[in-house]
Amino acid sequence: MSSLTLRNLTKSFGKTDVIRGVSLDVEEGEFVVFVGPSGCGKSTLLRMIAGLEDVSGGDLMIGGQRMNDVQAAKRGVAMVFQSYALYPHLTVRQNMGFGLKVRKVPAADIARQVDEAAAVLKLDALLDRYPRELSGGQRQRVAIGRAIVASPEVFLFDEPLSNLDAELRVHMRAEIAALHRRLGNTMVYVTHDQIEAMTLADRIVVLRDGRVEQVGTPRELYESPANTFVAQFIGSPKMNLVDGGAVADRLSALGRPVPEGALVGLRPEHLQLVPADQAILGGRLVTSEYTGADTLLHVELADGEVLLMVHQGSDAPEPGADLSIGIDPALAHIFEQDVAAKNAA
Amino acid sequence: MAVTDTTETTARKPRAPWLTLRRREAIEGWLFVSPTLIGFLIFFLGPLIAVVFYSLTEWNLLSQKSTYVGLANYTDALRDNPDFWHVIRNSVIFAAGLVPLNMALALGLAVALCRPGKGVVFFRTVFFAPVITSAVAWAIVWKFLLQGEAGAVNQMLAGIGIDGPNWLREPNWAMFAVIVTRVIKMVGLNMILYIAALQAVPRDYEEAARLEGANSWQIFRMVTWPLLAPTTLIIMVITTIGSFKVFDHIYLMTGGGPENGTLVLAYYIYEQAFEFFNIGYAAALAIIMFVIVLALTVVQLLLRQKGSS
Repeated sequence: MSSLTLRNLTKSFGKTDVIRGVSLDVEEGEFVVFVGPSGCGKSTLLRMIAGLEDVSGGDLMIGGQRMNDVQAAKRGVAMVFQSYALYPHLTVRQNMGFGLKVRKVPAADIARQVDEAAAVLKLDALLDRYPRELSGGQRQRVAIGRAIVASPEVFLFDEPLSNLDAELRVHMRAEIAALHRRLGNTMVYVTHDQIEAMTLADRIVVLRDGRVEQVGTPRELYESPANTFVAQFIGSPKMNLVDGGAVADRLSALGRPVPEGALVGLRPEHLQLVPADQAILGGRLVTSEYTGADTLLHVELADGEVLLMVHQGSDAPEPGADLSIGIDPALAHIFEQDVAAKNAA
Repeated sequence: MAVTDTTETTARKPRAPWLTLRRREAIEGWLFVSPTLIGFLIFFLGPLIAVVFYSLTEWNLLSQKSTYVGLANYTDALRDNPDFWHVIRNSVIFAAGLVPLNMALALGLAVALCRPGKGVVFFRTVFFAPVITSAVAWAIVWKFLLQGEAGAVNQMLAGIGIDGPNWLREPNWAMFAVIVTRVIKMVGLNMILYIAALQAVPRDYEEAARLEGANSWQIFRMVTWPLLAPTTLIIMVITTIGSFKVFDHIYLMTGGGPENGTLVLAYYIYEQAFEFFNIGYAAALAIIMFVIVLALTVVQLLLRQKGSS
């Protein structure tokens, strides 16, 4: 196990800055997830930690040692690729033992370590198969097994579940979480799926345009997002943002004063249908999407903006109905800095 | 009344037309393939059958007399005529020299030129250009370069103190010279095939291997080279078949000489047919060559099937 420290890390491809000064401390044994939209630099950052991309500036430390100029193989990291990168001409056993073989480890030791990793991942019966003979989930487990055999200080995962179907993804997510509990290694995991991030992470790093927007536990990010980007990225369906002026009077009356020019964030799952005298907003229901456990309501406000709200229960109103919407004022998020950002968007 | 109407409707059920959709599509399909099919029958299958027929005859092109001789031309080639086995030996030497040299050079060039970089496109063009250069021009230039003392190659060798042989006039060196000049002409084609195969190897494999501690040679030997196996097999077979069928290069460079040192099968067939007018014998040789090429193709197919399973 090792800690991981990034100090003002930068990466440029030609004149394009991809990582623009990322600083982060990952503690020993911590499970950290990098999350962000496509092109935010999360995979590049992971590849820099792995040693597959060189560092343009700043310091990269693993276990307290500066690793900027250390070869990938000598950093004590193992990586699980999005494509799994299993060698198609080698069996599962040969794939898992590849790293030991190139390091000239005796065959008996390779066999023992592969068997141990295979037992952990329940791959024993598949050791003599070729990757093409495995299902997606099995391939994923072999890729993880190969990383385990390398006995790394830090595990790196690059969107490892994105090629799996939804059901298998949920299953493998639980397996990776269990693996982390069992091994206790430091793990850095990249995903664009915020549900994966929320369920796996000890801490989440939200990235945008090569910069860190916020670092925190899943609960911190959900309950106290630092800005509207994080607020809208974490949580599904995404948070509604309304002009403060539209709800300022009612929220102030309920004990949540809204500064002038601020934006107010309202999570769809926190909104409720209430009697008109308790409402902070009113609008007309334009669409309702029944999803089984609940119904997603699209409500058009007076200014034409559409608000999403989750309605639980089977008594969802019909489209065209005028709705009065309320919220527990403690659950409203007030953003004073992001008005320009919203207008720009 | 209504009941009667229903009965009449049932009785007048329309008969299915002769030109059903299935028939129409079949006719259209045959019409589409017919130009190729007719061409194949006239220009490929017809001559092939004619060659088989001629190979069973003693036919002198000058006297126009044709006599059925059964398998005599075949026994003549395979049992009685020592020239045939000399020619086969030359063809095998040519293939055994050309194929490994061509493939090794093609692979080396492909590895060097498969990734984008400065000058890569220029060098790819330089090495591929001979493939599309006229064989005649190529042979003429090399005949000049490989002349005895005056040739540029020997002049250069003399510059470093080596007394070069008369490349195309000495039996031991002529085969070497035609192999090397043929390799230089054709290596670009295999280089392009290897470049395409190398570019199709996902970068992740190399990166995964690098992370696991493999050096460049280990990555090539243990990851890249095995993944090139299907391409290597195809290149090996088509280059071998091509080397057994080589004619123009020999015709232009040495004419099969000196002392029949470069007399290979395709040139021998030409010689027998159009210089000595032994049409029947030449036809039998052509059929033997056809069988050799067919056998190599079957081996290729079997190896590919084995590889893909």
